[in-house]
Amino acid sequence: MAIEKQEVEKLAKLSRLKFTDEELHTFIKEFESILEQVKAIDSVDTSNVDLKECGDRVNFDSLQEDIERQGLSQTDILMNAPSAKDGAFLVPITVEEGK
Amino acid sequence: MSEYNLVIGLEVHSELNTATKCFCRCKNEFGSEPNTHCCPVCTGMPGALPILNKEAVKKAITMGLAVGCKINNHSVFERKNYYYPDLPKAYQISQLEYPLCVGGHIDIVVNGQAKTIRLNRIHLEEDAGKLIHDHEGTLVDYNRGGVPLIEIVSEPDMNSAEEAVAYLEKLRSTLLYVGVSNCKMQEGNIRFDVNISVNKPGDPLGTRTEIKNLNSFRAVQRAINYEAQRQIDVLDDGGVIIQETRRWDDALGKTFSMRTKEDSQDYRYFPDPDILAIEIDEKFVEQVRLSLPKLADQRAIDYKQMGLSIQDAELLTSQRMYSDYFDEVLSCFNDPKFVCNWITSEVFKRLNVDESDVIDIPVAPNNMAKLLKMYKDGEINQAAARQVLDELWKNDSDPASIVDAKGLRQLNDVSAMEEIMKKIIEENPKAVAELKAGNSKTMAFFVGQAMKASQGKANPKIINEIVNRLIK
Amino acid sequence: MNYLDCSIKEILENLTSKKITSEELVKLCFDRIESTDTLNALNSTYKEQALIQAKEIDKKRQSGEKMGALAGVPLVLKDNINLKNTKTTCSSKFLGNYVSPYTATCAQKLVDAGAIVIAKANMDEFAMGSSTETSAFGVCKNPIDPTRVPGGSSGGSACTVAAKQCFGSLGTDTGGSIREPASFCGVVGLKPTYGRVSRYGVVAFASSLDQVGPITRTVEDSAILLNILAGEDQNDMTASKESIPDYTADLNKGVNGIKIGVPKQFFTNELSVEVRDALLGAIENYKKLGAECVEIDLPNVDKALAVYYIVSSAEAASNLARFDGIKYGKRANNYDDLVDLYYQSRTQGFGKEVKRRIMLGNYVLSSGYFDAFYRKAKRVQEIIKREFLEAFEKCDVLVSPTTATTAFKLGEKTKDPVSMYLSDIFTVPVNIAGVPAISIPCGVDSQGMPIGMQLIGRHFDEKMLFRVANAFEASTKEAK
Repeated sequence: MAIEKQEVEKLAKLSRLKFTDEELHTFIKEFESILEQVKAIDSVDTSNVDLKECGDRVNFDSLQEDIERQGLSQTDILMNAPSAKDGAFLVPITVEEGK
Repeated sequence: MSEYNLVIGLEVHSELNTATKCFCRCKNEFGSEPNTHCCPVCTGMPGALPILNKEAVKKAITMGLAVGCKINNHSVFERKNYYYPDLPKAYQISQLEYPLCVGGHIDIVVNGQAKTIRLNRIHLEEDAGKLIHDHEGTLVDYNRGGVPLIEIVSEPDMNSAEEAVAYLEKLRSTLLYVGVSNCKMQEGNIRFDVNISVNKPGDPLGTRTEIKNLNSFRAVQRAINYEAQRQIDVLDDGGVIIQETRRWDDALGKTFSMRTKEDSQDYRYFPDPDILAIEIDEKFVEQVRLSLPKLADQRAIDYKQMGLSIQDAELLTSQRMYSDYFDEVLSCFNDPKFVCNWITSEVFKRLNVDESDVIDIPVAPNNMAKLLKMYKDGEINQAAARQVLDELWKNDSDPASIVDAKGLRQLNDVSAMEEIMKKIIEENPKAVAELKAGNSKTMAFFVGQAMKASQGKANPKIINEIVNRLIK
Repeated sequence: MNYLDCSIKEILENLTSKKITSEELVKLCFDRIESTDTLNALNSTYKEQALIQAKEIDKKRQSGEKMGALAGVPLVLKDNINLKNTKTTCSSKFLGNYVSPYTATCAQKLVDAGAIVIAKANMDEFAMGSSTETSAFGVCKNPIDPTRVPGGSSGGSACTVAAKQCFGSLGTDTGGSIREPASFCGVVGLKPTYGRVSRYGVVAFASSLDQVGPITRTVEDSAILLNILAGEDQNDMTASKESIPDYTADLNKGVNGIKIGVPKQFFTNELSVEVRDALLGAIENYKKLGAECVEIDLPNVDKALAVYYIVSSAEAASNLARFDGIKYGKRANNYDDLVDLYYQSRTQGFGKEVKRRIMLGNYVLSSGYFDAFYRKAKRVQEIIKREFLEAFEKCDVLVSPTTATTAFKLGEKTKDPVSMYLSDIFTVPVNIAGVPAISIPCGVDSQGMPIGMQLIGRHFDEKMLFRVANAFEASTKEAK
């Protein structure tokens, strides 16, 4: 399975990771060999599988009751913050990128 | 504009008024110190896991049933992956393939014309945190992060800004009727995304743009009108519309491009493995259906049967709060027309009803009923009733004691009034002559004089009788 | 008597009968930790705090108070399990200085039972690896032969138990991360049924596959710890409400009449001769003890590894997105703007293997590939699960080697991710099916390196696993 460099660059963007060209190169090779292994699943007949019926389910009654529980203090919430101000996390000025 | 069709679809995000957040048990409350209603879950700490709030699911289903949705008996939460500082896990828990509610509709009336707007779906998701910008950078507060939100997605069934606003008004009214959201626009409880395109009649649908994060009906209306004209101008100039997301600048009254579809994010939705699929049985759905309050349309029918006009019935049912208030006043003082006239005039005037928010009526219904009964029984006159209402508005209490304290009780003693009127007639021979000559307007002069002499307490009906009797 | 040789069961007897105090025991552990420091099994140790706790427990015991089931027993947590006010690094530079403001449910249960957490163990970065060589804090070494890997990702957890630095540890297992290192280090490692133990507070790698489990020196100890760890949790929707039996109850019931399934797909050419022989010997042993052995067919079990790499990478890509430099952990010193802050912090904070999995995960989730990879993998997962369910209609447990070879040399497989991934071929199908499995020692190879046997059970039937495993362990003890 051949992977285009451009495609890997797009993935790097989605992953918020930067790679040097050399890293990208070895990465593409490794990636291709992993995907080669992964192809094994194509041969399995899964026509009688309904994913809706798979996995555990929960009924409404066993959901969490809407009753408040004390969370953490502001100090604990911020204790690992790389940068904080006025009880909030501080990050570089954020231009609305949209959601 | 007239040679183009306008096609509008709306996505409404409405925060649910649960006690706690959607996926943890932190308090759902607006306006506290930053990051004080937070825990490992809603700040995305390593190792934290979401748990689903039962009441949030119930409220989403309640709204779905109120607008005729089908409730999916199998519902799945998915992760919508994107990076933004207000999203602590770098994914939003939302729904895609199996939302809680599908279908449904909202019926609106614009310029006397009834129209049904179809809904695509209602799903449950979590709100993001709040960003505050200052000179040093952006401050991130996760108090709002994880608050339950329903997204109500319409089909592109609206063709004018007026229809869009009518749809939003009806939707907000329904949210308030079923009591699932506080709908306070100032607190960002309810926010709107608009999809809009234009095409010439007979042509296929045009390319649409999306305007994100509008937070008032007025902004929706202005943004639609601006964006429609912008698209028409582009097309008329031989240009093409680019599918993109646009931002509304309320101060400038314009939309601006945020990003185009080509560089739009790939959200990589997949079922959240931390949240089990939810099974909702038919019995539970029926139970919620039975617990729904009587909604606006049914209430309006009931009011018409009481003898109210269509306009009055619609006014009273436009907000559940008005209708509930009306019903409660009626339960103490059963005179529908009289109560309705008073509420739609005096009360609405004082509410200063604008589109942006719903304000509570500060007078208890039983006090309002007492006041109206005194007015109706002639214990006070209209001017006094208005004066008492002003007092109650500032400081709600027993209207009778205000009437007494201010000495507003109407003078209904005929002989005492006769004494006063005899004096007035004696002092105003010219007016008497005019009245005798058939100038009926002069009666107002006598009533005015009587009011002055009685410090506004005279009963105008009685004055009329006395003047007529003494002069003729 | 060397108290450090004791099992949890034995040391509890010695503590109860006051032959040794908890304080003395903690000191012994730390002496051992210091003398075996070069193994690099532990990321952080809590000597001072442990001694304070030990003294408190000793005082309570002296005054005759009721004691917890693990009162005074020194244990170790994998470094991806949150314990309030201790570092939780996941052996990643990204979380090098991260201090937990809360405690994981599994850790809380141990503490509530009186256990003393003396350290957190080294691991592969974010549990991604099979050798503990991806740790940002240096490789952990196999205590039996320090030129070899201890296995991974719970390499430190297995190493510390095998090196007798503590009496038991917790690991996490997404594709074999408890069983493979247990096998390589010659100790007992249990991956419980998915949902048996709460994951709350355990830093997620792949949420639908991760499971916390004990690493111990005996099967009985494993059952003792599961008794404490198992159960539902209001903080974890995926933790099961299934009832909890006494896992020690059937330990000595033997295997007479028990049906042991031997999946033919697990005895392939990849198996080293020595591992194969050890396993065949173990199967013979079971027959002698009265078990019946039946051949089992799991036709699609060889697809489990592919399913695993798709599903686990997809979930990992999403789970690790939260490490963005905003709220905790690494924030790059220099960056142009917010977006650059993300790039720099993540690129500097994560190691190569973690980046590889994130990229792979985003690949299989991205639009256009989702159906072909993720959705297809979930469907194949269901097929594999069904094959296991069918197998358990014919037998009570399945037996297989835990790994195809014994512990390999440090650096031997780091250059080739695919060969490293193949270390997990026997363990991964268990996570894909969600069933429980235990790895127990079943001999050594010519180099003296331990060989592990994997027993796989029905969903929530860990009790049967312990029974069958204990029968083997008892028979090998007798043979000595």
